Amino acid sequence: MIDTQGLTKYYGKSRGIIDLDLKIEQGEIFGFIGPNGAGKSTTIRTLLGLIFPSSGSGRIFGLDIVKDTKEIKKKIGFMPSEVNYYEKMDVHELLRYSANFYETNCESRIVELADTFDLDLDRKIIDLSRGNQKKVSILQCLIHQPPLLILDEPTSSLDPLMQAKFFDILREENSKGTTIFFSSHTLSEVQKMFRRVGIIKEGKIIAVEDIDNLRKKQLRKIQLEFTQPAKIDEIDCPGIIDPQTDKNNLFFLFSGTMNDFLHALAGKDIEDLIIEEPTLEEIFMHYYSEEKG
Amino acid sequence: MITTNLYSKELKRYRNSFIGWSISINVLILMGMAFYPVLMQGDMLKQMTVFFENPFMKNIMTAFGASLDDMTNVLGFYSSRSTMFITLLGSFFSILLAGKILAREEREKTAEFLLTKPVTRLEVFRSKLAAYFTYLLFLNVVILIIGFLSLEIFKGDTDYRLMAFIIHWIYCFLLMMAFGAIGLFLSLLIKRGRPITGVSIGIVLGGYFIDGLSKVSPSADKIGYLSPFKFVDSGVLRPDYALAGWRVMYFLGISLVLIVLTFVFYKKKDILV
Repeated sequence: MIDTQGLTKYYGKSRGIIDLDLKIEQGEIFGFIGPNGAGKSTTIRTLLGLIFPSSGSGRIFGLDIVKDTKEIKKKIGFMPSEVNYYEKMDVHELLRYSANFYETNCESRIVELADTFDLDLDRKIIDLSRGNQKKVSILQCLIHQPPLLILDEPTSSLDPLMQAKFFDILREENSKGTTIFFSSHTLSEVQKMFRRVGIIKEGKIIAVEDIDNLRKKQLRKIQLEFTQPAKIDEIDCPGIIDPQTDKNNLFFLFSGTMNDFLHALAGKDIEDLIIEEPTLEEIFMHYYSEEKG
Repeated sequence: MITTNLYSKELKRYRNSFIGWSISINVLILMGMAFYPVLMQGDMLKQMTVFFENPFMKNIMTAFGASLDDMTNVLGFYSSRSTMFITLLGSFFSILLAGKILAREEREKTAEFLLTKPVTRLEVFRSKLAAYFTYLLFLNVVILIIGFLSLEIFKGDTDYRLMAFIIHWIYCFLLMMAFGAIGLFLSLLIKRGRPITGVSIGIVLGGYFIDGLSKVSPSADKIGYLSPFKFVDSGVLRPDYALAGWRVMYFLGISLVLIVLTFVFYKKKDILV
């Protein structure tokens, strides 16, 4: 469905993306995760023909992303990370304007989706809250029922209720065969939705993983406080990554099984134990060091 | 091919601006022409003659494209008065509209919306250019009608050559178009579509004053050719007044080259929002 080869984009001398090979199959929900500035939006903008690759190539539906961009866009619904619409239009006007670019009649779909998302079609864009603008953006990318959705950080500024509705609709669309390419910088989102994720860092894809594998590898961030100064090899258990000490404390990432870990703790003089979900950055660092190693 | 959806949205978007400029320009034309009968009433003209003998005043009036001889004829009066109202204000309208019709989508970040719809850049460019030309044409048609009516209403016993009026109208139209092309081109060179209102107004005013200067001082005559205003022939009373091929070619050439260049840039431009 999406297939890029060596896709590279430099903005002058500064890096956008480097040598990106991405393959997304028809019907999948693909999560594209990475911190801000990693190149997620650059990738998406290149795929959509907003910017042009410095080298490499890409195909969507087997069509060239530079030459056949119009044909490609007929079949794409795109939701940008930041919503910017014509402020003086009202919601209905904007959605009709959007719909008129496609060769399908979308009127009933507009009304239906506006109802689902509890969106007032008569309000002016400029009067809408960020969250409501986001809803317009959701409608705008769904109304023409495209076979491919490209969503750039779609859940920011959506409240949890709307987020759940949105995910329901995405699942529904996906069950009808819609392919979804979803970028995000928060892992919790990723886990709810995706079958596969690609992790991008500093312009390069550093891992493409099945979400099931990622779950199995689920990392924990662990801090142990001992009654005495901690030794770096204090705990002997498979799955301890990158241990570090600070006085009585021992910090590490843990990718093993909890049971083994708890057994390894038995009999130690432990003052305190903190087990946390690692931040995405820490997971990236983990992938990053694996990549280097 | 024009994308009707986009074209009609653009027309709607700039309708009020168009109406505002049209009304202003045409009201000024009518008001300006209303002075003609007053000027023709006896004493006024004599006083003006004295006034004009002062070399300083004469220079100033020349710079503004007016001479007393011309002003005694209704069309001469029209063309000298209208220099200000039509060519200057019309050029403002044109350069400002053309300078934002494309760039504004980038500035307001709606380019991301528009260019992810199934439209090619060429279609966007053509549709927007078509909307710009539509309003430029509308404005000039209104000017043609109001200009003609004002001549008819205020001419009194004097007479004028209709063809000369139309030729002058064509020159003004071409001038506005050339400024539009300049605005369009400049707007595309600016990153992220930042507004070029100040620069645009500066360019038109600069051109206007260079042209004025070149009229006053023979030594500055050549410099005048830096200004598009210089290429408008306002000698409406000359018996041989006609459309000069080189003048027309200048306006059409400058417009065409800049529009093509703009598209070449636009086609390859990275849209960063």
